[in-house]
Formats: sequence, structure tokens, C-alpha cells
Amino acid sequence: MQTSIEGGNSFAFINVDLDPGETVMAESDAMSSMAADLDMTAKFNGGFFKGLAKKFLGGESLFVNHFTNNTSGPRRVTLVQNTPGNVRTVELKGQEYCLQPGAFIACTPDVKLGVKWAGFKSMFAREGLFKLTVSGSGTVWYGAYGGLLEKEVDGEYIVDTSHLVAYEPQMKLNIQLAGGLFSSFFGGEGFVTRVEGKGKIIIQTRSLSGLAGWINPRL
Amino acid sequence: MQIEITHRPGNAAAKVHLEAGESITAEGGAMIAMSEHLQMQTSTHKRDQGSSILGGLKRMLTGESFFLNHFSAQSAPGEVILATTLCGDMMEYQVGGPALVVQAGSYVASAPTVDMDMSWQGFGKALFSGESAFWIKLTGSGPAIINSFGAIYSIEVNGEYIVDTGHIVAFEESLNFEITKAGGSWLSSMLGGEGLVCKFVGQGTVWCQSHNASSFGQALGPMLRHQ
Amino acid sequence: MPTDTNEYETVQGADQRDFEYRIECKPDFAYLTVQVPAQQTMKIEGSAMATMSTNMEMKTKMKGGFGRLLGGESIFINEFTAQGGPGEIGIAPGSPGDMEHQYISGGQEIFLQSSAFVASSMGVEVDSKWQGFKGFFSGESLFLLRCAGQGDLWFNTYGAIIEVDVNGGYVVDTGCIVAFTSGLQYNVTMLGGYKSLFFSGEGLVCRFSGQGKVWIQTRQVGAFASWVWPFRPPPPKNN
Repeated sequence: MQTSIEGGNSFAFINVDLDPGETVMAESDAMSSMAADLDMTAKFNGGFFKGLAKKFLGGESLFVNHFTNNTSGPRRVTLVQNTPGNVRTVELKGQEYCLQPGAFIACTPDVKLGVKWAGFKSMFAREGLFKLTVSGSGTVWYGAYGGLLEKEVDGEYIVDTSHLVAYEPQMKLNIQLAGGLFSSFFGGEGFVTRVEGKGKIIIQTRSLSGLAGWINPRL
Repeated sequence: MQIEITHRPGNAAAKVHLEAGESITAEGGAMIAMSEHLQMQTSTHKRDQGSSILGGLKRMLTGESFFLNHFSAQSAPGEVILATTLCGDMMEYQVGGPALVVQAGSYVASAPTVDMDMSWQGFGKALFSGESAFWIKLTGSGPAIINSFGAIYSIEVNGEYIVDTGHIVAFEESLNFEITKAGGSWLSSMLGGEGLVCKFVGQGTVWCQSHNASSFGQALGPMLRHQ
Repeated sequence: MPTDTNEYETVQGADQRDFEYRIECKPDFAYLTVQVPAQQTMKIEGSAMATMSTNMEMKTKMKGGFGRLLGGESIFINEFTAQGGPGEIGIAPGSPGDMEHQYISGGQEIFLQSSAFVASSMGVEVDSKWQGFKGFFSGESLFLLRCAGQGDLWFNTYGAIIEVDVNGGYVVDTGCIVAFTSGLQYNVTMLGGYKSLFFSGEGLVCRFSGQGKVWIQTRQVGAFASWVWPFRPPPPKNN
């Protein structure tokens, strides 16, 4: 399998060149274009999501598409996320990684997808109460609206909940108010996530809720 | 005329430099800035063909603005900067070889020597609403500016290739095509979220946009202010 | 573990400035990170904070020196102070686009479209009540702010930034003006006569004359609002 990420940092898209017999899995509606003789099947992801309502998944569908090359030569499928933004990869060799639901785009077949309770004690987490865990071995492509930046945390750091994309599993997350009670609600920040531990987190430099907040006054 | 496209692929804009006596036709709303001495005239189609209501109506149906603007530099050279509604890419295409079929909404501007035909009905009613159902055929000769939601990438079709219908920007008319289901079965197609796709057959180039504007709108939708 | 993919365009603040800063993910999703020295404060537009070190304390000021009066637009400016040591804050505006830093001093003025304000140091006064702008944006629900004083000013755009040095004259669609310096006169007019006003889609334009700089953005918020309109959720049902 040969893969590359094209499209610059704002409209990143993934070219996957599958060798005969290979398969790549992608979220619903991720296919932008593909060779006509690739086979595509939608498989129910229910084993992982155990019947959870779609809205708790932050946009992940219950189905995952499998693109398989059953021909005798290499074939290309071009995959993309539903928002503009950057795409990153994580190479798994048995370890686990945590993604915000909605950040997952595609993975190689030996990666396992799971949903876990994100551990927030608060019911008000705007981005949902679950996290997507990826584990096993292979490549995972993920992305978000905006650019993606890596931040090393050693101790604690505050991240607005709509800007956190991915984090290493040993990081602990807690919800807290951004400031005092008045400031938090009227200042527009509301609740934020406090990240504790030592490891790397990935943040997105824009958010759909920020975009909606910018355009709503004009609707 | 010289066209310089900047800020690709995220927020592309086109700087068009006009020599004295030259003009460019652009869709309504595309101008963001220009030299102070340029003249602008609005019409429904080409400037010399007068105001055809039918031409204007056809253009309204394609999702393009009702009217076209013609910017001309009379006695001295000047520049006009053009841009579009959504973030995305732009490219310059030299019309002259095979006719180019362009998705409604992707047309930005063209030289007056390029002809625009709104009556192209190749896809018929095969596409679901939500995808633009109208396409513009460009013939004649000269430069045209096309935009996209997403980065523009091209595919040289030699045989067959499938493109999701929301991702087609433009293609050469020499290609044949078929609207078909994406997966092995209709159920797969619908559940997999792909729905209908376009299978291009033959030889020619298809220009695709990496992203799909209605998918983005649907992702943003739930957070918008209610109707 | 996480692997780096693309290189970003990053600008480390190197011009005259009060606070150290860098702008990453230019030009499409520009993100500002500011190092705030101990006990210092900066002003940030409501809800633009994306990340911060835990010693940054946030206070919300009503209006904070200028009001935004338009239907629902935030009228709150947050002041962030680094307590007990230096702090760091990451700022993300709502619209996709670029960001620019200007250091204001010595009587300079910058006139800024109101939704473009991102952040400033405390020495920059931001004034929305200056009457010189009456009628500037009729039809657009935008206000101009006058920024003067001494300190850092960061502003953002919807779309990419094109900086134009005006020497004589220039015409800009009013929805694409982000900021301009004093020294320019302007005149808001229609372009091309009444027929063009209604049908051209161009609306009002601003003719600048004189000498100065104009920053324009390559996208317009009004066009985006029209595009997004059909995706709004249906009204909530009444029980």
C-alpha cells in the first residue's frame, strides 16, 4: 500500500494506492474518487458502538466502508473528511490512541476501533461524552476542521473542548469552568478541558462551533 | 491578459491584469477589489448580445448569480481581483481544445472570447437534489477561471474511473459517463453514505475537488441558528 | 506515536512588539500563540481562547472599551492575566483565514472592521463610537473600530489577506475591507449605475484615495451566510 497526503494543510486529502488483495477502511462518505474496479462494501460497525445513538458519536456513522482491491494491479482510492482542514497519521504498533469522535477518517484493516467513556465527570461536555480509541497495528488517518498542531504537555494545560482532537491515552482529562461563573458564560468560553499528565496532545486551530458562533449573528 | 492565482488551495483569489482595451467577464459578486479606472457593466450574458432574460434565467437556475459583470480597462492597463463564496481552490483553464463541462457554482470568470452554454443536460435528472443539477459548457478560446470547494486535483481517465458526484468540478466533454451506485449493492451504497457516483468512461481529464460542500454544510448545520 | 505530516507556515513575531508571539497555520487557519509576561494582561475577543496555561486568569468585562451592538454578536472582551509567573495563551478566531499583527504607536491609527478584532495589549484603545463612519457599511451590518494608542494589535480575516499600498486610488468591495490606515480618504458608492447595484451582486464599493495601506480579505461573510442558510436546523417543535 502506498499512501500520501495531498492538498496542502487546508484541504488535505489522502491518496491510497492499494496493491492486489489489500483493503482500507474509511468512514462513511469519505470517498472522493476511486478506480472503477475497486470493491466497496459498507460494514456495520455496531460491534463497536453497541447500538449507541448516532448523536453521541459526534458524527461518526454506524457504518464503515471497506475498499478492497480484487484486481491484479494497483488501484487508487482518494479519501477525505467532511470539513476543510489538515490530516495527520498515527502509526500503531500495539499501543492505543484516543481521538475525539468525528476525527476518525480511515485506517488499515488490523486497527481496532472502539468507543469508550471519556471519563468526564460533568454532563456538560459540549463535544460529547465519548472518545474513540484506536488500537492494534497499522495506520490511522485523522483530521479536524482547521490546522492541526502538536503540543507537549508536562503537568497541566487548559484546552477549549472544541479544539482538542487527539491525545495519548495516559493523559487525564477533566472539565472545568473557564473562569468565574459570570465570565465563563458571558465571556463565551463556557467549559474547558484541563489536560493533566505528560504526553502529546493534538489541537485544531478552528472549530465548527466557533464557525457557527461567527456566522450565527448574520443568519 | 494575465491571470495570477494566489493563496492556493485554501482561499484562492485571482488577480487579473488587463491591458488597455481588454476586458473580462465574471459572475456577479466575484469582484473584491480593482483599479479605480476600470469600467464595469452588468448584463445577463455577453456584453454585445444585449440583455437576454432567458440567458439570465438559465444562469439563475445553475446556481450562478443572475447576471454577469464585464470589467474593462479602457485607456490604461488595470487589475481586478476575483474571489468566490467558499474557501477553496482556483485554477486557470485555457479553453480551446475539447469543450469543458463545468459544475454550476464552479465558474468564476472567462475572457469574452469564451462561449458559455447553459443548456447542457447530460446528467438529466439523474442526480439527487442537493447536488447541483446544472452544468455549463465552455467553448471558444481564451482563459477561464474555475473554482472549487477543496483542493483541485485532476484525473487522467484511460478506461474507467469513479468520482463521487459532489466532487466533480469539470471534465472534458469527450468523456462518457454513467451515474451509478458506489458499492456492490444499492444497500451498501446508501448505508456507506456514498449514494450515487459518476463513472467516467473513455479518455479525457476530470478535475475533482477534494472536499464536498454539502457534507461540510451538513456537518455545520446542527450548530447553526434555528430557522 | 503521532507523526508529523505537513510543514506549516509559521511566523515568529519579529517586528516591534510588546509580547512575544507566533502565528501558525497561515494563511488558512491562522492561530496565534502569545507569551504573556508575569502579571501582565491582554484583551482577547470573547470565545477566541483555545488553549492556555493554567495560571492565566480570565475576567470578562462588559464591553471592555467598545461595544458590539449587532444582533447577538458578542459584546464581551475577556482580559487574561498571567498570575504568579509568565503564561501562554493560544487564540483561534471563529472564521477561517489569516491573521496579521500591527504595532501601533506614535499617533498611528488603524481602522478595523469590527469582527476582525482578535486581541490587543492593554495600551491599544479601541473605539467604536467615532462618527466618521456613518453610512460606511449601509447594507452590511458591520461597524468600523478605530484603534490607536501604543501596543500590539492582532486582527484576522475571513479568507486570505491581501495587503495593498494605495498611492492615488483603489476600489474595494465593502464586504472585503478588513483594515486601513489613516491618510486615506474614502467614498462609498455604487458601481456602475442602478441596474448594476441590484443585479451585479457587487453591492457597495469603497473608493479609496490618498496614501496608505488597505488590508482586504478574499472572502465575504455575507456570501457565506447566504450559502449556509439552507443548512440551518428546523425550528424546535413546541410541545
